[in-house]
Amino acid sequence: MMSLQSTEQLSPVQYDRRSQLYRRHLDARATFKAVASILAVDVYSTAGSEAEKAAHLGLADLSTHPRVGFKGRGAPRWLEQQKAELSSIPHYAVQQSDGSLIARLSEEEFLILSDLDIQASLAGKMQEHDTPGSDIPGSDILGSDIPGSDIPGSDILGSDIPGSAEKVYLLPRHDSHCWLALTGNHASACLAKLCAIDMRINKFENGEVAQTSLARVNAIILRHDLGRTPCFYILSDVSSTEFLWDSLLDAMQEFEGMPVGMAALKELSKSD
Amino acid sequence: MFNLNRLPAPYGLLLNRTKKIAFSFENKTYHGFAGDNIASALAANDQWLLSRSFKYHRPRGLLTMAGQDANTLVHLPSDPNVLADRENIREGLKVMAQNYSGKLEKDRGAWIERFAKFLPVGFYYKAFFKPRGAWEKWAPIIRKKAGLGVIDPDFQPEYYDKQYKFYDVVVVGGGPAGMAAALQAAQSGAEVLLVDENPVLGGSLNYARIDAQGVQARITQKKMVADIEAHNTIDVMVNAICNGWFADNWLPIVKGRRLYKIRAKETIMCVGSLEQQAVFHNNDLPGIMMSSAAQRLIHLYGVRPGKAAVILTGNTDGYGVALDLLDAGIDVKAIIELRDEPQHNDMIKEVIARGIIVKPGHAVYEARKSKNKPHLAAVEIRKIMEDGICAGSGEIIECDLLCMAIGYTPTYQLICQAGGQLSYDDVTAMFTLTNMPKSYQIAGSVNGTWTLDAVLTEARRAAVVACNAIGCSTLGKETEVVSDPVVNPAVDPVVDHGDISPNFYWPIFPHPKGKEFVDFDEDLQVTDIINATRDGYEHVQLVKRYSTCGMGPSQGRHSALATARLVAKATGKTVAQTGVTTARPPFSPERLGHSAGRSFYPAQRSNMHYRHLEAGAQMLQAGAWYRPAYYGQKGSKAESVKSEVLNVRNNVGIVDVSTLGGIEVRGPDAGEFLNRFYTFAFIKQPVGRARYALLTNEAGVVIDDGVACRMHQDHYYVTATTGGVNHVYQNMLQWNAQWTLDVDFSNVTTAWCGVNIAGPNARVVLQKLCHNLDLSAEGFPYMGVREGRVANIPARLIRVGFVGELGFEIHVPQHCGEALWDALMAAGKDQGIRPFGIEAQRLLRLEKGHIIISQDTDAMSNPMEVQMGWAVSRKKPFFVGGRTITEFEKKPLSRTLVGFVVNDIKAPIPLECHLVLDGENMTGRVTSCEMSPTLNKPIGLAYVLPEKSEVGSQIVIRSTGGALVAAEVVGLPFYDPENQRQEL
Repeated sequence: MMSLQSTEQLSPVQYDRRSQLYRRHLDARATFKAVASILAVDVYSTAGSEAEKAAHLGLADLSTHPRVGFKGRGAPRWLEQQKAELSSIPHYAVQQSDGSLIARLSEEEFLILSDLDIQASLAGKMQEHDTPGSDIPGSDILGSDIPGSDIPGSDILGSDIPGSAEKVYLLPRHDSHCWLALTGNHASACLAKLCAIDMRINKFENGEVAQTSLARVNAIILRHDLGRTPCFYILSDVSSTEFLWDSLLDAMQEFEGMPVGMAALKELSKSD
Repeated sequence: MFNLNRLPAPYGLLLNRTKKIAFSFENKTYHGFAGDNIASALAANDQWLLSRSFKYHRPRGLLTMAGQDANTLVHLPSDPNVLADRENIREGLKVMAQNYSGKLEKDRGAWIERFAKFLPVGFYYKAFFKPRGAWEKWAPIIRKKAGLGVIDPDFQPEYYDKQYKFYDVVVVGGGPAGMAAALQAAQSGAEVLLVDENPVLGGSLNYARIDAQGVQARITQKKMVADIEAHNTIDVMVNAICNGWFADNWLPIVKGRRLYKIRAKETIMCVGSLEQQAVFHNNDLPGIMMSSAAQRLIHLYGVRPGKAAVILTGNTDGYGVALDLLDAGIDVKAIIELRDEPQHNDMIKEVIARGIIVKPGHAVYEARKSKNKPHLAAVEIRKIMEDGICAGSGEIIECDLLCMAIGYTPTYQLICQAGGQLSYDDVTAMFTLTNMPKSYQIAGSVNGTWTLDAVLTEARRAAVVACNAIGCSTLGKETEVVSDPVVNPAVDPVVDHGDISPNFYWPIFPHPKGKEFVDFDEDLQVTDIINATRDGYEHVQLVKRYSTCGMGPSQGRHSALATARLVAKATGKTVAQTGVTTARPPFSPERLGHSAGRSFYPAQRSNMHYRHLEAGAQMLQAGAWYRPAYYGQKGSKAESVKSEVLNVRNNVGIVDVSTLGGIEVRGPDAGEFLNRFYTFAFIKQPVGRARYALLTNEAGVVIDDGVACRMHQDHYYVTATTGGVNHVYQNMLQWNAQWTLDVDFSNVTTAWCGVNIAGPNARVVLQKLCHNLDLSAEGFPYMGVREGRVANIPARLIRVGFVGELGFEIHVPQHCGEALWDALMAAGKDQGIRPFGIEAQRLLRLEKGHIIISQDTDAMSNPMEVQMGWAVSRKKPFFVGGRTITEFEKKPLSRTLVGFVVNDIKAPIPLECHLVLDGENMTGRVTSCEMSPTLNKPIGLAYVLPEKSEVGSQIVIRSTGGALVAAEVVGLPFYDPENQRQEL
């Protein structure tokens, strides 16, 4: 991470990790805020309450927030050994006691999303060890065999289950996918313009996960309501982030939806 | 005079008389009311002529007033072929007619009718081709004459989109059957969508007369609509057309500029029926219309359809129309009753009581045109002697309106698309639809049910069946809204249709002068259909294609039955045996905008994308990826590429390689898997080393390449081509499904952002950013792999030499790509680092003799042909394609990919796919060729015969304009043959 200046001057270019959308946010006169060691949009300078807009229909960029994936025969047991609470069946997510979210994408594949404040211990570990080379399976998981490497390993990011041949493999979801949040009472109707899955609130449960096509790109869609407000987390291939953002905003126009920042999401999360 | 034919309120259900609207038709201004469509507003102003027919340019006017015929097709600015009886008027709308020359009233094209004798059915299959060359002269004339409407080339695209919706029950058709079905389904707890193509619900209840007093229909409509509005689980879409039926009840519904993609658990089709025309001489004159069209004009639009009317009928509906016309103050001259002895029901009794003359057993033999205008002026009626044959003379009745009520066909299209079978009883002239798929019901007149009570009962029954199928049931439940008794399909019988048919079985009366139109769209007469069968086209499908019957805009809605009757008679079969042609979606005209919607074109960009733009890159698209082609002004490709190449050769450049594929291959059997999958050997590959990976398919054909980096004992990071990585990944999964090795694959292409920094100063620049990595030639040799931090960003580094210079490929997490780019550009500023694009990269690799898969290889290229035999292991027991390659090696090569140079720099540079010739014979082709700034001459790769593959051989290439260019075969690589520069 590059050196930080005062809060008023925070800009994505001061950070190594930059969302593909940061120029869009700058053009929309967003204000950024440091959250743990990442930078995210706090608010856009628009009139009126952004939380109300988010409750109506909002789109937020969470691409710099930590996330990681694990897969392999040993993944379920290994995660449980890390004190993770897992859904017993695929296509559901369980919120952890530390605020992070673990989605079960298949019998052996999991996606871990940090909480909005990046305070979850699991998220903190992901961030600290978000490095290549630390995804190495096998017993010597602490760094690679490659000379010259200075990457610290981690006992969390991929390991063997002691005493078994079952493997756990890390998936670099933090970089392979963008992470967007579509919020509000019109979110389902908006998604219906882009996706063939029935995501009406009374049909697609809170915590349910779909792996589907959204505006012709593959996407993982996870419903995780913020308080009383419906919210859909969307993860899709990072290289099409701008395309997906633009497609969503286009579909949102009909309902007068708009981009929103973290402050709005947090406010909604607190509402009962 | 404004609204000459307008009737006072309460006529005109759809009108808002407080809002007057001005529009123009054929450059003349007219006025109507809000709620009028173009056709109704023109009719109100006594403008009945709307168009000219396709072939004979005959004058045409309203026929159905329901958007089901092509007579009303008009032209709006930028919008041809608009249905005037569907398109509402708006202030300032400019409407023009179509298919005429000069003036609509005096169409110069009408002369063609005089030559009708020379334009029989199928004439265009026989004419215009002889003598030789005749078609080239006729084609422009016919092309100008044919077609309807004119496209506006300056048309600006409009916003269309799509939306999915999901329902338990979708009811198509908002008439009495549809409304009853929707209400019943909603009462059962289902989520319901009710769709109707009209502006208001009600269907025929809005305009038909179902009782002698003419009150019951409107009362029923009001109550049912109120009940529907009170239900919060019924969504209503009006002005919406269900345009097809697809598997599993997927229904496209077009409303405005949106295509709704509806998924229904159960579908109930209450789509009604289409009134049919009688066939007699001049049955196409303006003023001749369906009886329901007259009723729509009166009740929906408050327009008097004529002043003096005759009704031609074969059912009770004709009598209802007569009463409606009388009530509207129109003089009803007579009812021409096709039946000898119609059963006197209340409606008929009322007609007789009001003094209307009824002529049983008679037909309209011909219609006569006014001398002053193209409109009906009189009809000649004659007694029917036998089927289709009238007496020798008859009676003339002056009239300006003829209403036809001779029968209906079910609107079978959506039902047949779902697999339903349409049958017909020649005796009763009744249709049946059977063989509906699961989760699909029909009800109402489409099912041959006509009386209101029977329709409502049948519709409710269909809804109960549908709801039972999906677990909703009303049995035993109280209802607040629908007070009518609930039908229990377990107890109540299916509605008995009896033998009451509204269809007169033979309403076709040939005339010695012809012009008894069967198909209005294509101007097809009775003799045309009969002659088609005589020309040998006896099957109705062939009749259609030969005559074009049913192929016009109305798609056989008003010609299918008459055609089937004529073909049946001509071929000695029944109508049931003859059948009708296949109904395919779309049901009604659908714009390309509806199908296209928002037209999503996913675009892929690396995290460095904007740095390329800021550096002045001209971008190109490789699949969905945007990549920088070169950096410089548009049009400066040659100079820019040359400059970039020389900078890499002499200094240092960076290129974005983020699009290259990356796959993590991990697990105890990772090495074994790669050994089987690729041609090279990988099990003994040391950790920290990269190895070239050549991929062949089972046919031994080269399909992709990359490098496999051994990160760990059980972990390889394998690269692939931009366009091939997804296929490679799928292949890996597919092969391992058979081999079941303990290995995992992850396609991490977009998780990594990569650059290649190349040139003699590459190490100098990189060293400034890597503090804990030994980048020396000894510490980090060629084809080595390292992990470390570059500008404190975690990275994988690979020493590769694709461009033939000292080079490091640096892969960082995708979101850090721009930061890496910035750091390298800053670090290299003193050295004059510059980016280089794909074009320069391709040229650099060509100088180094490296092939590009799918450019220098084709669907037949094996490793030996492309001089890659060195990348094939002969010691492995198996690899994909190995067996075939072994067999290839036993035979002599048929071609070889060689390098060549063109020593004459003035010769036109050969291009890809230019042929290599040996005299007249094609013996090979060029796959790559560029002007090399390093060697100062054109260099390239080409397939040649093996005997020409020796270094020093002379080959001839046919270049641009047919110029023959001499080239010399040289050894590869062209540049730095000792590989000293890339291994610095």
